Amino acid sequence: MTYLANFLVYGLLFLTMYFEVFLLVTYFEEKDEFSTDKPQKDRMPGKYPTVTIVVPAWNEGKTIIGTVNSLLAMNYPKDRLTLFIIDDGSTDDTLTVAKTFEGNPRVRVFSKENGGKYTALNLGIEHCTTDLIGCLDADSFVDSLALREIIPYFDNPEVMAVTPSVQIHNPRNILQKMQETEYMIGEFSRKVFSRINGLYVTPGPFSIYRREVFARIGNFVHAYNTEDMEMALRLQSHRMKIENAHTAFVYTVSPKSPRALYKQRVRWVSGFLMNAVYNYRFMFLSRKHGNLGLLVLPFAFISIFIALFFTILYVRSVLHFIYERYIQYLALGFHPHLRFGNFDWFSVDLGFRVLIIYALFFTMIFFIIMGVRMARKRVSFSIMYFLALYGFIAPFWLARSLFNLIMAKDTHWR
Amino acid sequence: MQNVSSKKYVIVFLITLGVFAMVFLLSNYLYSQRITQVKSLEDNINRNILESEIQYALLADASCETDASNNPLMIDEINSLSKRLSFMEDQRGTDDAEVIALKKYYSLLQVKDYLLLRERAKQCGQKPSTILYFYSNNGDCIDCQKMGYVLTSMRESYDQLHIYAFDYNIGLSVVDTLKSIYKLDNVQPILVINRKPYYGFKTQQEIEALMPELAQMTASSTKATSTPKKATLTKSVK
Repeated sequence: MTYLANFLVYGLLFLTMYFEVFLLVTYFEEKDEFSTDKPQKDRMPGKYPTVTIVVPAWNEGKTIIGTVNSLLAMNYPKDRLTLFIIDDGSTDDTLTVAKTFEGNPRVRVFSKENGGKYTALNLGIEHCTTDLIGCLDADSFVDSLALREIIPYFDNPEVMAVTPSVQIHNPRNILQKMQETEYMIGEFSRKVFSRINGLYVTPGPFSIYRREVFARIGNFVHAYNTEDMEMALRLQSHRMKIENAHTAFVYTVSPKSPRALYKQRVRWVSGFLMNAVYNYRFMFLSRKHGNLGLLVLPFAFISIFIALFFTILYVRSVLHFIYERYIQYLALGFHPHLRFGNFDWFSVDLGFRVLIIYALFFTMIFFIIMGVRMARKRVSFSIMYFLALYGFIAPFWLARSLFNLIMAKDTHWR
Repeated sequence: MQNVSSKKYVIVFLITLGVFAMVFLLSNYLYSQRITQVKSLEDNINRNILESEIQYALLADASCETDASNNPLMIDEINSLSKRLSFMEDQRGTDDAEVIALKKYYSLLQVKDYLLLRERAKQCGQKPSTILYFYSNNGDCIDCQKMGYVLTSMRESYDQLHIYAFDYNIGLSVVDTLKSIYKLDNVQPILVINRKPYYGFKTQQEIEALMPELAQMTASSTKATSTPKKATLTKSVK
């Protein structure tokens, strides 16, 4: 049993290390691609593709003004940009607020019965006549240069979609600051994935597609409330290239309560698991689907089990610690011994397993720092919130998502 | 078909293997350093005992004039050794051959110190306060863990109290001899106080009642401030 447990622990650690080394090797191979210093050159006015941005909105009356204003303020030729605001049967004042933009010739407002985000996007696609079409969730805001940073990637005719760099908008509380750091890892890893054709999400906030994509592979589908993930997997399954514009910044409002965060993450992780396992499992370990099939998808899947496995080990050691303190209390009552005592280097665990975990930990810190640099930010105290909290709360949504997968239980947006 | 570089997969595998190998070598090196540290501590204690033996032989009764609190063993060192053995036992397991060997040597040192203390007491007409503690590490003795905490606490509270802790199942003939001298049953924890065995968990108050001489001892405040992180008598001496 011990032998089997050790084999499992070291096997999982090896897999995790392998994945991290793969990302590192890719980064060092293509370091130039991660630069943030390359300014986009201005083009001749006619050389800018026409773009439609669809803003699906359901009860987003409070944030939609900021979202639309940020789109209208983008540094992009006015005659090349159209906005579709699609009210998906809101019960608040979203439609009224949206209609205040109708005077702008670049804005069209649609209203429909509530049918879910993907139906709103599809309505936009049906009315779209431009070269490119994108989406921006009504709780997100774009940087003025975001579209200019994305467009050059479409100069490559093979590129069918481009994802932006998604950042947390104005993180205020500890939970949002924790997510801010989490997104830094995403910033780095998304770029690495793009270098190995391994992107499996085209995020709701400001992913841009060639319009022809939808004619070729179809519109958005429900996809367990993760239509952006399904679309990326569908693109990849048709071997269509997805790029990442890491300097195209988009800011999204993040959940500020544990409950909201939990619901969002259960939706994301469940969506990934269900899409991947139910509909796209043929891509797993398929050489035909490149690094995505051979490495990224299998690891994304296994990483959930790895995280849960090590959480169980961690919880077990915490319980053991509590038990020892309890025994100590039974023996001595409230005694000075119950304090933590003096630090002794000898008692620092430097066994093989722990050193491997340190190596993985410092590699993760490297990823965070790279993400921070790529996002043109500074390393902040938010990292501490991430390190202190994430490992405790993420297992909850991972476990729930796994449960949803096994029970084939769908999730809800809110 | 998308472009997949098999060469890259192999290179990454080799790098990962290399990292694992380096970390393995590093952890082994650090472990051997720790073994060396513990051995050096044991050697130091052994040398100290030898010095005391020679000192007694040379000075005979005159050595009684030296400070009565001058314990043959350096209490700090034995505490430190006990703590480190406890940690190593945690890390490597109770059945690790190297840890067992170090523990056996530690047990011998304790017996040697115990005999020296008795010899000195006989020569000088003193009555040392000693506790022989027998524990089991086989997972069948929850009370041993509690007992360990109490004894560690007492070792720190009373600087002239000599506590010698032995793993009942260590398989050392000297320990077996002690077991037969005191006619001990295989029921841990066992405390031998004034040559009389007591079975089962005892609180500090209960032990203090069995050893009234403790009331005369001054509590060592300096020892109390150097309380180790873990109860040093709980694992290696549990």
